[in-house]
Amino acid sequence: MDRLIALVGLRFRLEARAMLGSRGRALGLVFALPFLALFSAAASLGAFALVRVVARTEPGLLLPALSAIFTFLGLSFVLAPLVAGVSATESHDLSRLVAYPVPLATLVASSLVANLVQPSVLALVPPLVALAFALGGPRWPLLLPALGLGLLLTIASAQTVGIALHALSRRRRLHDRVLFAGIGVGLLLSLVPVLMLSRGGAAARRALVALVERDIFALSPFGWSARAAVHAGRGDFAPFLGWSAAVLVTTAAALGLSAAIAGRLYRGELDSGEAPARAARARIRLPGAIGALVEKDLRVAWRDPRLKAVTLSGVIGPLLLLFVLGQGSAGGVGPVQLVLVAGMAGVGVIGSNALALERDGLGLLLGFPINRLALVTGKSIAVVVLRAPALVALSVAALLFAGPVTAIAIACVVLVTQVIACAADSYLQILFPVPVPAAGRDPNAPISGSRGLGAAAISLLTMAVTLVAAAPFAFLAWLPEPLGQRWLFVGTLPLALAGACAVYFMAASGAARLLLRREPELIARLRGEE
Amino acid sequence: MEDPRGEGAEGGGDAIVALALTRQFRRQLAVDHVSFRVARGRFFGFLGPNGAGKSTTIRMLTGLLRPSSGDAVIEGARLSGDLTHLKRRIGVLLEELPLYERLTGEEHLLFAARMHGLAAPEARRRTQELLEFLSLADERGKLVVDYSQGMRKKLALACALVHGPSVLFLDEPLNGIDPVSGRVVMDLLRRLTARGVTLFFTSHVLDVVERLCDEVAVIDRGRIVAQGTLAEIRAQRERASDASLEDVFLKLVAADVTREDLSWIG
Repeated sequence: MDRLIALVGLRFRLEARAMLGSRGRALGLVFALPFLALFSAAASLGAFALVRVVARTEPGLLLPALSAIFTFLGLSFVLAPLVAGVSATESHDLSRLVAYPVPLATLVASSLVANLVQPSVLALVPPLVALAFALGGPRWPLLLPALGLGLLLTIASAQTVGIALHALSRRRRLHDRVLFAGIGVGLLLSLVPVLMLSRGGAAARRALVALVERDIFALSPFGWSARAAVHAGRGDFAPFLGWSAAVLVTTAAALGLSAAIAGRLYRGELDSGEAPARAARARIRLPGAIGALVEKDLRVAWRDPRLKAVTLSGVIGPLLLLFVLGQGSAGGVGPVQLVLVAGMAGVGVIGSNALALERDGLGLLLGFPINRLALVTGKSIAVVVLRAPALVALSVAALLFAGPVTAIAIACVVLVTQVIACAADSYLQILFPVPVPAAGRDPNAPISGSRGLGAAAISLLTMAVTLVAAAPFAFLAWLPEPLGQRWLFVGTLPLALAGACAVYFMAASGAARLLLRREPELIARLRGEE
Repeated sequence: MEDPRGEGAEGGGDAIVALALTRQFRRQLAVDHVSFRVARGRFFGFLGPNGAGKSTTIRMLTGLLRPSSGDAVIEGARLSGDLTHLKRRIGVLLEELPLYERLTGEEHLLFAARMHGLAAPEARRRTQELLEFLSLADERGKLVVDYSQGMRKKLALACALVHGPSVLFLDEPLNGIDPVSGRVVMDLLRRLTARGVTLFFTSHVLDVVERLCDEVAVIDRGRIVAQGTLAEIRAQRERASDASLEDVFLKLVAADVTREDLSWIG
């Protein structure tokens, strides 16, 4: 017990120091606490009202509906590290603790206790009390332990997933694939509300209702505590005890699994990371230093699941915007919507933070004797290529909605805006880089010295400036369409591209000179020394 | 008398001239008016306790950290001048090993070669040769993130060597490297200095420094406390001619190595 207390105390001390050592993190907590309190109050009110309404109007639906809601909440906690890149739970850094004569079960239990008293978890207690009160009335103190067990199971399961992911990270490529797939699932899940609200959402809603009515979520352990509470509220004590025992056993199993994975992980049984058996000779196919830089950036982005996800989500953003604009317009998607979205897709380049994404490699990159204009240009080309899926997606959409000539013009508008945005972004990444955690570390860990709200404002300003600077070229590229003289595209498209490229090289030359002057400062800033 | 501003050093026989290099981090003075000269083709050891300012000095000399004041001339190129010109001539192995973790070892080396302007066939040839030389050939297809610390060190060293620099800055190059590779690297470094390459080398392994270096400088709390050949330093500090570098070093940094026994041991 002494060791358990010491371990929980250690975790709190480390968290307190991290908080006090980072202004951004402390400020984040100060902002988050009122929102958490508000969320907690609203969720309590919502849970109470929902249960009372369903119990009165559709009493038969109460059990399956609550099972479904608890399952959804449990899964969102457990899969958060995969689908959103943030974890609601955190384990002790076991690699530093396994040397001590402490049982692994104690280490896992200490993480569980520490996770239970995190503000985000504590904020769930009032809604659970409200739920117990709504279900059991005066019997609510009996229901609360059952619901609390559900929370315990959720946190324990989230811990198990976290430690399993950590074990998986020993096999880097597999871990990356799982993370990428998880981010993809997260992206699709985030689109579900939009699809549900759209014209085609009726079928999806019917499918969900059918699943709930068939009580399919009774199979989910996350819903069992809710079932126990509902039975306790109705005075059915045998099923209450049965479901509660089931939750307890599942929680113990989750903790046991965590300890077992940790045991194998730190005895090296899950260690791997061997070289692929059939490694072909490496090649850099693109010519020159710019080519090498572009190819390096593309390979690194493709192998980093988060960078890859950002790249591919760039396809979803413009298409979603097009979808929303199309929904809001009587005539569906027309040329005006297409041009608007093309402009927005173009300025999406801003905030690429490409130099900071070099992470530790920046010192190496800036150590090469490559002309700095070539370096800035290489980075810009990589950024444009990484966003090519968005350009292709919009061009295909334009092809479907407005025909091939318009599709080419739309692609040109995207490209022209991207080129100008790259020039503007070069200044942003040199003057206001955002430090990026090293690969393999928590990518969402706040880093002292990040740009914060001020930087967001500067990004917005840069976007506005880019739109103004790109407007003449985009206008030129698009002009034949309103004139109804489509043959003019033969001249206007190359002219617009050439003009944008000229502006790019003028601006990029300035950025290259700025980079040359500020290299040591840039490295110092990204290393957190300034 | 030597020109304290180092004027005229650009055309002289020195590969490295540090001129009152100073670096302040917030309130901490990491390097305090450090000046020294390293002649071409010398194996120069830069020693000091942890936190003395060795890595900061290397980062300043290689243009990766701007000095708060002072300047340096490396192979005729001033730090305050065109850094690209300087970077063509130097190879750098930093202690923190800045590497791209999601490239394979072979891709990484190939990339470094191409960024130094080597043509593709030559870049490929040197890459293969270096991978074989440093016993990394079997691991060439592995991502750098999966490399051990020693393998990373060897890869970073290969990146520093691939373009054939005339001055090499090596910050703890033998740390974490296995004894076989360590011997291979030491032999290579000796051959490089024989061919006129200047080596600026830091290490905590003093017997290696003693065996390899023609000349050493000792930095302590940001200041140079001794510089010269080992014999000169022994003479300056009135140490016996057979005194080891370790003895001289401990004397120079005024290290107190006497301790009471731990209360629960012995």
